[in-house]
Amino acid sequence: MTKQSARFLVRATVLGIAVIILFPFFSCPFLLSLVPAMSPLTAVASLFTVKKCSMAIGIGLILGGLVALRHRWFCRWVCPTGLCMDGASVLGRRLGYRPMRKGAYGQWFVFIILGAALLGYPLLLWLDPLAQFSGLAVPVASPFRLAAWSSVIFFVALLFLNVFRPNVWCSRFCPLGAFQDITIWLPCRVRSRLRFAPKDNKPLLGTGRLARRAFIGLLLGAAGACMIRLFHSAGRRLLRPPGAIHEEQFTGLCSRCGNCIRSCPAHIIQRQADPGDWAGFLTPVLRFEKDYCLENCTRCTQACPTGALSRITIAQKPNIKIGKARVDMNLCLLGEDRECSVCRRWCPYDAIRYVFSQEMYMLVPVIDPVQCNGCGACEAMCPARPHKAIVVAPI
Amino acid sequence: MKDRINRRDCLRMLGYSGLAAGLSGIPGRRLWAQNLGESSGFQSSVISASKIEPRGVNAVFMDGQVIQPQRQLPILDKTDVLVVGGGPAGIVAAIAAKRTGVNVTLVERYGHFGGLWTGGLVLLILGHIVTGGKQVCQGIGEEIMRRLDTMDGAIIDRKPGANPTVDAEAVKYLMVEMIEEAGVRVFLHCWGVDAIMDNRSVRGAVFESKAGRQAILADVVVDATGDGDVFAAAGAEFEHRSHNVGLVSRIGNLDRIDSQKTPEGQKPRRLGNPTPVAGVNWVNLTGPEVDGLDLATLTRMEMNHRKFIWKNMQKTRSIPGYEQVYLMETAPQLGVRITRVLHGLNRIRLDDLKANTKFPDVIGVGGASNAEHKEWQIPYGALVPRKVDHLLAAGRCVSMDIRMADLVRLIPNCFVTGHAAGVAAAVAVQDQCPPRKADITKIQKILKQQDAYLG
Repeated sequence: MTKQSARFLVRATVLGIAVIILFPFFSCPFLLSLVPAMSPLTAVASLFTVKKCSMAIGIGLILGGLVALRHRWFCRWVCPTGLCMDGASVLGRRLGYRPMRKGAYGQWFVFIILGAALLGYPLLLWLDPLAQFSGLAVPVASPFRLAAWSSVIFFVALLFLNVFRPNVWCSRFCPLGAFQDITIWLPCRVRSRLRFAPKDNKPLLGTGRLARRAFIGLLLGAAGACMIRLFHSAGRRLLRPPGAIHEEQFTGLCSRCGNCIRSCPAHIIQRQADPGDWAGFLTPVLRFEKDYCLENCTRCTQACPTGALSRITIAQKPNIKIGKARVDMNLCLLGEDRECSVCRRWCPYDAIRYVFSQEMYMLVPVIDPVQCNGCGACEAMCPARPHKAIVVAPI
Repeated sequence: MKDRINRRDCLRMLGYSGLAAGLSGIPGRRLWAQNLGESSGFQSSVISASKIEPRGVNAVFMDGQVIQPQRQLPILDKTDVLVVGGGPAGIVAAIAAKRTGVNVTLVERYGHFGGLWTGGLVLLILGHIVTGGKQVCQGIGEEIMRRLDTMDGAIIDRKPGANPTVDAEAVKYLMVEMIEEAGVRVFLHCWGVDAIMDNRSVRGAVFESKAGRQAILADVVVDATGDGDVFAAAGAEFEHRSHNVGLVSRIGNLDRIDSQKTPEGQKPRRLGNPTPVAGVNWVNLTGPEVDGLDLATLTRMEMNHRKFIWKNMQKTRSIPGYEQVYLMETAPQLGVRITRVLHGLNRIRLDDLKANTKFPDVIGVGGASNAEHKEWQIPYGALVPRKVDHLLAAGRCVSMDIRMADLVRLIPNCFVTGHAAGVAAAVAVQDQCPPRKADITKIQKILKQQDAYLG
């Protein structure tokens, strides 16, 4: 077996495993988290942002360490996105298209991501190819929303790009690839100083002006992160999955991998597609139309590779606030003297009491702000139509 | 014309004048003493002349206390299955037991059947459907619905996935018809006050009525009182709960509302929901959460609710366009929702509903008010008291987790537990065993024969 076919076999196996993990045969949130967590770039950016190590980040960091040993072995032996892109590139070459000769956009992305991550808002983290690969599975969970297909659209666009400009993603744009270029650069310098020439001493792709690029990129990233944290995210409140870090950082740290959406058994997580909220575009938000955030589930937090959703336990869940329920008595069936006790019965935390108002001479649902964690059971089950009378509002 | 009147003429004249006095309704002096049981034609007949109720058994005032002396009670009836309470659960239980082939006596405290369904004017049938609109209340409950379908003006909104509304009078009539057809012995105006005990076994129940305190002996008693009066008297374990106590009313002339005259935003919301009677709505009232067994509380609720309903109607009538709407009636019976809840061998639990638990001793499947729940099974153990024998509970007082109360107390779910309790009581009588040892497969088989749905 030639080295090339061996490599192909390994990558195809990895791709196969990733597909099996992502698609509904297995639905283990930890396995789901492994797919995007393999990216050392995500791991480093997450570590900078949340400043604590988790299992997912640890895996990425270990792979990151290994990446520094041998140039781009991850791309050549592992990356499932890369295999797909290579396929498109082969087709492109056969059709006679030429690769792009210049541009180290990937490195710019890496420095911007890292610079921004240092200020707690890793801009452009969603460009990570493994996060996008993971996102391909999102339509499995919510096939009828256009936003759920975002990764598929992005991926198909990249495939086309690779047909017309073979290898353009991997060599020019991919931040994960560029990250490997950068990490190999440092040991190379050290080794060349020590007079141990590295084995594959090919001139590294576009590392010529690395220092300048690093300086400007990091600065740009930091400035961008500052701007967004100061002006855009401040004051915004949305219903995020449980354990979500502060909104100000959430939209940056979320790599849009869609694992939370995919892992949610209640299918209440959707991609945010509000064009007004460009910083949080495609981030996960909760919709309690049909179901609620189950009291015995922490799957989304286990599936999150970046720590945008910090890991929580079921015991902690009652105290982790997603939002708080609010009742509109103009819509509530109790306001019409209808016989309804649905929200009280469904509330898993016994946060709803019906208090008789002598003044109105009717029952009014009263929500205990301590008990209520905004799980949305009341909203999901509320029979009032066309508008629900009880809705969870962000805190 | 003769100047002298002989004795016969005199008597005849007096007789005619007496007749005339009777006809004209003028209370005249009675001329002849009537014999016992003899009809006077226009006035009441004497049932018991110069009667003095036997003394010496009354309550006596002794040392500042009121003492009820021991006394022997007349036995009104001896039967196989005694059903106490003629509400949705009791009616279905009585019919089911009779159809299973035993003698059944039903006692009801009011003068009509249906309990809160009719007397409380709870006209909306909530709780017979589950998610997807499937109807889980079948059997005798569904038979009642089907018969209401065939009656004129008895039921509206009878379609799959919807909650129908009935007319209380139609239901009262139909209940009489069905009870008579089944051949159930009935005593109305009979208020169950005590259980007759033989160690830990119930042998019947004591009733208070205009006829005094009387006893009915039975092999198995079904407590369909709603408040668990019998199992409480029998010493079974229960939980005493507070719940909302309201009062339903019906309002009329809804078809004469001129909403064009109503200013924006003044449209009243508390106008209830349509009934089979055109222009008439039934209006629910939830009321505060109180103890539905406490006399002072019940009195206060009745009075406060009546005041509110009247004043609220005046407020409605003052809105332009709503002048003709009027308060037709308030329900004769106060809307007590939950009071005593049995501690049975098993319980109906919300966790089981959520976990979709299947019980081997399932005797029925419950539904939800707005089809917001999946099917939930009702175990036989929820009807059987823990320590008292020859007694079964049916209706809203069966053993349950209080979070299920708002589902268990719904009319169709009372049909379901009533049906099961009736069949189980009959099986226990036939097999001569206490209900807790009754053959559950036989009960399930008979329930299915009687078209009940067991999941």
